[in-house]
Amino acid sequence: MTLPNRCARAWEAMPWVLQGTAAPQDNEWLTQHLAQCEACRTEFEQQSRLRLALSLPADVGLDPNAGLDRLMARLDEPEPAEAPQPVRTSPWLSRALAAAVLVQAIGIGILGARLWSENPAPAYRTLSQEAAPAVQGAIHVVPDAGMKLADWDALLRRLGLQVVNGPNDVGAYTVVATSDAQDTLKRLRAAQGIRLAEPVDAHP
Amino acid sequence: MNDADTHDDDTDRMLLQRMAAGDRGALAVLYRSYHGRLCRFLSRLTRRPDVIEEVINDCFWIAWQKASGFRGDSRVSTWIMGIAYRCGLKALRQHGDEPIEDDPVRDERNSAHDPGEDRELRDWLAKGLERLSVDQRVVVELVYGVGHSLDDVAVIMQCPVGTVKARLFYARVKLRNVLPALAGESITHRENVP
Repeated sequence: MTLPNRCARAWEAMPWVLQGTAAPQDNEWLTQHLAQCEACRTEFEQQSRLRLALSLPADVGLDPNAGLDRLMARLDEPEPAEAPQPVRTSPWLSRALAAAVLVQAIGIGILGARLWSENPAPAYRTLSQEAAPAVQGAIHVVPDAGMKLADWDALLRRLGLQVVNGPNDVGAYTVVATSDAQDTLKRLRAAQGIRLAEPVDAHP
Repeated sequence: MNDADTHDDDTDRMLLQRMAAGDRGALAVLYRSYHGRLCRFLSRLTRRPDVIEEVINDCFWIAWQKASGFRGDSRVSTWIMGIAYRCGLKALRQHGDEPIEDDPVRDERNSAHDPGEDRELRDWLAKGLERLSVDQRVVVELVYGVGHSLDDVAVIMQCPVGTVKARLFYARVKLRNVLPALAGESITHRENVP
């Protein structure tokens, strides 16, 4: 839309003149222009009609008192609680499972480390492997067949002996002396109910 | 802003201060004084009375909550219209801008209170506003209906003044092209009525 300069100025001024907020000189200028310009006069009449139509009261017919009552009732309602978070079990479940797996992994790791440190040698030996070296001070002992278990236990405790192997097929035990091995050997040979006592490293 | 506007704004500010202190009487006064202009303003967005009342109540519920935070950068009326505008847009998104179905009771009531000339004027306006976008209708209502300045409208719509000027310009051009013909239709229609 292209308007002559004066008509463009009139177009700009019309809403504010109609509002009553235009500067007095703008008001006067528009009055003079409208007296000379039929097109702007027609436009101004239409703008006046538009303003009149827009200033008519609303035709929606709402009762302010009823609306106000509802607003007051709303103010008395408790503050709307935060919308409940949707139940999300999967993250919790995932976390719990992850924690369980972690605990299990740590436990398995600790158990493995202990077993590794406590039993570094394999518990079995193949026939091609050399025999395990005898413990220093170990003694093969063969008690009488009629020796009571209580007497055997009492002898082991008295001489400070610890059984590390046996009995084998011939009823021999391998014991280790916690004190002097030679002295223990003598006392063992002198003990009642002992058929044989020989140091492991001695050749018969 | 003329003297009457200044006086109104002083009154509104005093009411807001009382609302900030929990005075529901002040809220009621402010509610009643704005109800009519908000009804008309929001009727440019939607024709559903239930949505209009919901928006007005949302607007004043927010005003009640935020009264203590009003900084006074603008007139109270500009602040309230801005809240109503945003609540109105939200309601439009939720409910859509569907027109209400014809309500015989309402039509009868309006007919009883509306002189024939007003009814003709309303029809003429309604047909013209149908040609405009929502934003253009809002600008036209705020400038011609409520009497806000371009700066006020920019604050209410939270956009640059240049945007408001452009919306007003294109709305006026569109109305200029359609309103005379609509006036002719209306007159013709009236002449045909026995």
